[in-house]
Amino acid sequence: MNWSVHIAGPEDLEGDLTLTRFAGREPSARLQPALRMSVEAAGRRWGEVRFTACAFGNEFCERLLPEPEMLRAAAAAARSRGLAFTFLTPYVSNDGLARLRELFSVLDAGEVVFNDWGVLNVLRREFPHLRPVQGRLLNKSLRDPRVMGIYSQTEPAAGAASATLAVLQRSNLDCESYTGWLSRLGVAGVEMDHLPQGMDLSFADRGVSLSVYWPFGFISTSRACLAAGLHYRKPDKFQPGAPCRRECQTHLVEYAYTNSPFGNRDQKFYLKGNTYFYVHSEPMLRSLFEQAASGRITRLVFQPRLPMAAS
Amino acid sequence: MKILAPIRAADELEMLASSGAEELYCGIVPREWMERYTAAIWLNRRAPQGGSLETYSELKQLVDGAHRLKLPVFLTLNAPYYTAEQAPLVLDLARRLSEQVGVDALIVADLNLLARLSEEKLSAALHVSSVAATLNTEAIRFLLQFGPTRVILPRSLTLAEIETIVADTRGQVEIEVFMLNDGCAFEEGFCATTHHHSVGAFCTSLSDMRAEFEWNGPVFTRRRLAWLSRNLADYREWIWYLNGNGCGSTPQGLPYGPCGLCAIPDLLRFGVASLKIVGREASRPTIFGVASLKIVGREASPFKKLASVRMVRDIVDRARAGRPKLAVIERAISLRQTPQHCASGYMCYYKVC
Repeated sequence: MNWSVHIAGPEDLEGDLTLTRFAGREPSARLQPALRMSVEAAGRRWGEVRFTACAFGNEFCERLLPEPEMLRAAAAAARSRGLAFTFLTPYVSNDGLARLRELFSVLDAGEVVFNDWGVLNVLRREFPHLRPVQGRLLNKSLRDPRVMGIYSQTEPAAGAASATLAVLQRSNLDCESYTGWLSRLGVAGVEMDHLPQGMDLSFADRGVSLSVYWPFGFISTSRACLAAGLHYRKPDKFQPGAPCRRECQTHLVEYAYTNSPFGNRDQKFYLKGNTYFYVHSEPMLRSLFEQAASGRITRLVFQPRLPMAAS
Repeated sequence: MKILAPIRAADELEMLASSGAEELYCGIVPREWMERYTAAIWLNRRAPQGGSLETYSELKQLVDGAHRLKLPVFLTLNAPYYTAEQAPLVLDLARRLSEQVGVDALIVADLNLLARLSEEKLSAALHVSSVAATLNTEAIRFLLQFGPTRVILPRSLTLAEIETIVADTRGQVEIEVFMLNDGCAFEEGFCATTHHHSVGAFCTSLSDMRAEFEWNGPVFTRRRLAWLSRNLADYREWIWYLNGNGCGSTPQGLPYGPCGLCAIPDLLRFGVASLKIVGREASRPTIFGVASLKIVGREASPFKKLASVRMVRDIVDRARAGRPKLAVIERAISLRQTPQHCASGYMCYYKVC
């Protein structure tokens, strides 16, 4: 098992590559307690973490794609620190795909995480020197934090409840036909979020390389952006794919699940730009680290910020 | 360009056909699926109870009746994924639906299922669901390896993007787009939430949650807070519109909710193959004349399907007849007699220039 860190730019790789230093990068005071708890939990389980890889880019918004110079600089910084480099890409329109082509041409080697089948098609045909990895948006497991944790709390599940939980903890990665197909396409691995209901990672026993993100998971994402609406006239707000001024970089919206029918009314969700996220609880982190220790997870990717930072 | 209508029972056939439907789609959730997985695991993109048929005999009757009326029937097998345990059940179901029931196409989102079905060489064609999130031409080209005859575009594509995709894929695959009734605040194929009745849709439940801002730009002033709050209020209003104006209808019973009527002249010109009307869960018209029923927490009405098909047919006929675009748009806006909702800008699938 190895460790990767999601960086916002080459400056993140200056200085010590420690969990504690990275965790200080998140500007949100509301998220800092969760980040501190996550880093402490990792420290208790793993001691000092040694990063061997870094990820750069954005999985959720084509408006946050970096400039080619920034991508080149991030890849160079990774190389200078001896880190493997992964470029994260979002789902894209035709225009976004054209921008990605420019960015791919900057890269000599390394992994590219795709969250769009069109991106994979372009990678395979035009950039065969780059290693495609299936992103977490193409893993379709439900991870609705309002309710999914409830399914795993009714232990021991039996009968229909057991079958239901088994489905919720898996995805189509469970099917050998699917992972075999990915392999034949040259897809080097898959990425996932840690699920509130727990994960069944038995598919990894077939030799599938698996990366899991922590301590944030995505809930939902949209081409219609709340933050981008700030600068539009009311009737023109929330149009899919509309240009923006990266208003998402200025603020965060924290939602409290005060209307929960289950009692988890202290639960929080976070909206940054066009995407909602949940934060891993301490029990979730413990179970994630246990699964990592069991050998089914190839890489843990630490995201010290909500993964919406513009580079 | 065809009008694709939802159907849930054979006795809706005559109503839909006479109103102008030219294609039909539906779902089936066999009883054994419900017994195995409870209502938490959906076989297709509608809740197991209320949105789908339950028996093969019902479905066979529906398909045979539709074929007598020269209407093809497409069937949804479009859950985002199926596990290794589920896949054989779904494959068996697909074989039976194709070879015994005679459905004309299977609507599929899971790429593993799509790949497996493409190897089966069934009589039924394959349609790629909007849940597969084909947002660009290359994504469609990638999926052509599975031999689909149609791709359903996600709701979030703009008219300009649709025009490009239709042009890029002309002669290779048909393109279907959303036309009425079903909004989604998120990118449906990248939404990892459930609409389970215990919690409802995530997007609508957000409007009832307490929201607080954290500002990390320049100095946070009271004016900035008001600016953010106003934007959030607008966002909640937008979601209200996406949710069919709170699941409502006009005094005449015409459905609110996301609408693409004004875009029909453009979509016809682009060469879009089919216009999808959403609302399978609308119940069978055994109590036709009753304005609405409450089913699985959603306002559903037999009249809603009828009204939806008639609205779309009215505009399609005018576009087919070559009426001027502006006249067609004026007619579309006049149908509901609530121009203030059209003017809000939040009820449109597509912004028409």
